[in-house]
Amino acid sequence: MKSARIFRASALMVLSLSSAFGQAATQRIVKAANTFLATLDAKQKQTVMSAFDDEQQRKRWSNLPTSFVPRGGVSLKEMTEAQQTAAMALVSVALSPRGYEKVLQIMEADEVLKTSEGNGGGTGGPGRGRSGGPPQAGRGDGTPPSGRGDGPPPMNGNGRGRGPGGGGANFGKDLYYISILGTPSEKSPWILQFGGHHLALNITIAGEQGILTPTLTGAQPALYTSNGKTVRPLGQESDKALALLNALDENERKKAILGSRMADLVLGPGQDGKTIQPEGLKASDMNEKQQAMLLDVISEWAGIVHESAAAARMAELKADIRDTWFAWSGPTSAAAGSNITAYYRIQGPHLVIEYAPQELGGDPALHVHTMYRDPTNDYGRKLVAK
Amino acid sequence: MRINGAIALVILAGTPVWAHRLDEYLQNTIVSIEEDRVQAEMILTPGVAVFPKLISEIDTDGNGVISREEQQAYAQRVLNDLFLAIDGHRLNPLLVSMQFPPIEEMKEGRGEIELDFMSDLPRGERNRRLTLENHHERAIAAYLVNCLVPRDPAIRIAAQHRNYTQSAYELQYEDSGVAPATSSLSFWVGGLRWLLAGAVLVAASLVFRRRRRRDPVSAAGAW
Repeated sequence: MKSARIFRASALMVLSLSSAFGQAATQRIVKAANTFLATLDAKQKQTVMSAFDDEQQRKRWSNLPTSFVPRGGVSLKEMTEAQQTAAMALVSVALSPRGYEKVLQIMEADEVLKTSEGNGGGTGGPGRGRSGGPPQAGRGDGTPPSGRGDGPPPMNGNGRGRGPGGGGANFGKDLYYISILGTPSEKSPWILQFGGHHLALNITIAGEQGILTPTLTGAQPALYTSNGKTVRPLGQESDKALALLNALDENERKKAILGSRMADLVLGPGQDGKTIQPEGLKASDMNEKQQAMLLDVISEWAGIVHESAAAARMAELKADIRDTWFAWSGPTSAAAGSNITAYYRIQGPHLVIEYAPQELGGDPALHVHTMYRDPTNDYGRKLVAK
Repeated sequence: MRINGAIALVILAGTPVWAHRLDEYLQNTIVSIEEDRVQAEMILTPGVAVFPKLISEIDTDGNGVISREEQQAYAQRVLNDLFLAIDGHRLNPLLVSMQFPPIEEMKEGRGEIELDFMSDLPRGERNRRLTLENHHERAIAAYLVNCLVPRDPAIRIAAQHRNYTQSAYELQYEDSGVAPATSSLSFWVGGLRWLLAGAVLVAASLVFRRRRRRDPVSAAGAW
C-alpha cells in the first residue's frame, strides 16, 4: 500500500518534471523565435510566416537542392549576419546539441559539395570572401552560439556573398531556409521548418510537446574531412544499425534481411499520411540487448529534437518496441570507417525510419537519404486533433 | 546544357554531381487492398540519363508538350505492361487518375509521373493471393512495391514476396469478413458436421426426458 503510494507519487513527479522541462523548452523556443522575427523587415517577415494549416507550405520540403524544389521562407543567404545568428539560435534551441551538430554537419557537407562541384557549373567567378570554419554545435539551451566561426554557418565574409561558381547556385550552407507556420506560442501549436538540400526539419511545437516528424536527413558527401577531422553526419545511423544486424543470430538475420533490392526511400517527400505493411524481424523476437540496440538506432532520429521532447518520444517508442520491426536490404558489412551501402527500415505503430544509400552513379556510402516519420502524428496532427 | 555537363562529370570523374536519379527509371508502387477492390499508386521518376529515351515515348509528336492524349496513351502503356491477378485470375486495372510534371522537371531528373489505378476484386476465399508484375521499361527500371496497412480490420496481410528487382510481387492476405462460399465442398462438409451434432443433441434430450418421466425422484435429486 505504502509502496504503491510512493510509486504513484514518483510517477507524478516524473510526469510533472517532464512537463515542466517541456514547458521550459517551449518558452525558450518561443523566445528565440520572437527574437528572430524581430530582426526581420516587414517583407521578410511576411515571407517567413504562413498559416499553421497551410498544407502547401507543410509539404514544401525535399531531399533535392533548393534550386530544383523551391522552399518557402527566407534563406540564410538572404539574411544579414544578425538575422542568420538569430535564425540559427532558434534552430539550435529547438534541437538537442547532437541534433544541432548533425544539422550543421549536413549543411557543411553541402558546402563541400558546392566547393567540389563548382556549384552546378555556374558561370560566376570565385566568390567574395571565404567560408569561415566549419560551423559548430551551439549549446542547445537557448543560448545562441557565440564566438568566431561558431554557431550559425558562416557565409562568405559578409554573409551575403556568393560562393565559388557564382550563379545558378545548387549547393552550399547558405541555401537553407527557415519558415514558421502559425504564430510562435507557448500554448497554441505552430511549426518551425528549417531545411534545404538533404535536410527538412518539421518541428511542431504544441504546448510543452515538440514533434519532429516528418523529418528528412541526408548527406552528400556523407564522409568528408573538416579541419583534419573525418566527419560522417549520419555515421551513427550507419554504425549502430550494422552493429544491431551483427548482433542477430542466423535465424533472426534471415527474417530481418529482405531478398529484394531497395532502390530508394519508399515514404520519401510527398508520401505523407501513408503506413506501409511492416516487414523484417519483429522486435518481440529479439532479446533485451537487441531491443536496446534497436532503440539506440532509433534515438539517432528521435534525439535530434531538444531533450525533453526527445525523452517523451523515446518513452513512446520504447513502449512500442515489441511491435517494432527491423528490415535490411543489401550488403551486410561496411569498410572500416565507412558508411553502410545497405537500405534499412525501422517501423512501429508510431514510427517509420528509412535509411537509403543512393546509387546515383557514385559510391552509395557517400550519398545517403533518410526519412523519419510518425504516421499517426506527422506535423503534430494527433495533438491538434485533441 | 548544364545537365549534359553534369553527366559528363559523372562519367569522367566517377563521382555523383547531382542529387537525383541518373540512369534509372524509379517506379514506386504502393498497393492498397480493400474487400472488393485493389487500388495502387505508381510514382514514376525518370533519371536524367534515361529522360531522352522516355520523352520520345511520351511526347510522341515531339512538339515539347505532353498533351492529354499523349498522357493517356502513355499511362495506358504502363498499365498494359503490368500483370495483375487475384488468386491466379487476371485482373484488368483501370486508370483512375494521372499527373504529369512539366517536361523541364523531368529533364532535370526531379519530375514525377503519378498514376493511380484500381480493379474490382471478385469474391473469393478467406485466404487470397494478389500478384503484381511490372514489366514497364525493365531494362532501365528500379522497381519498388509495397502494400499499405489495410484500413479494413477484417483484412490482415499474411506475407509479401518479391523477386530481387521487385518486378514481381505477391501479396498474401486473409479477409475474415468473407462469408464461406456456399458452393465449396468445405461448406457442405462443415454444414453436415453441424447437422450431425444437432441430431445427437436432440436424441440425447429425448432419452433424458423419457428417463425423467420413468424415475422422477432420481431426476429431481440430480438437480
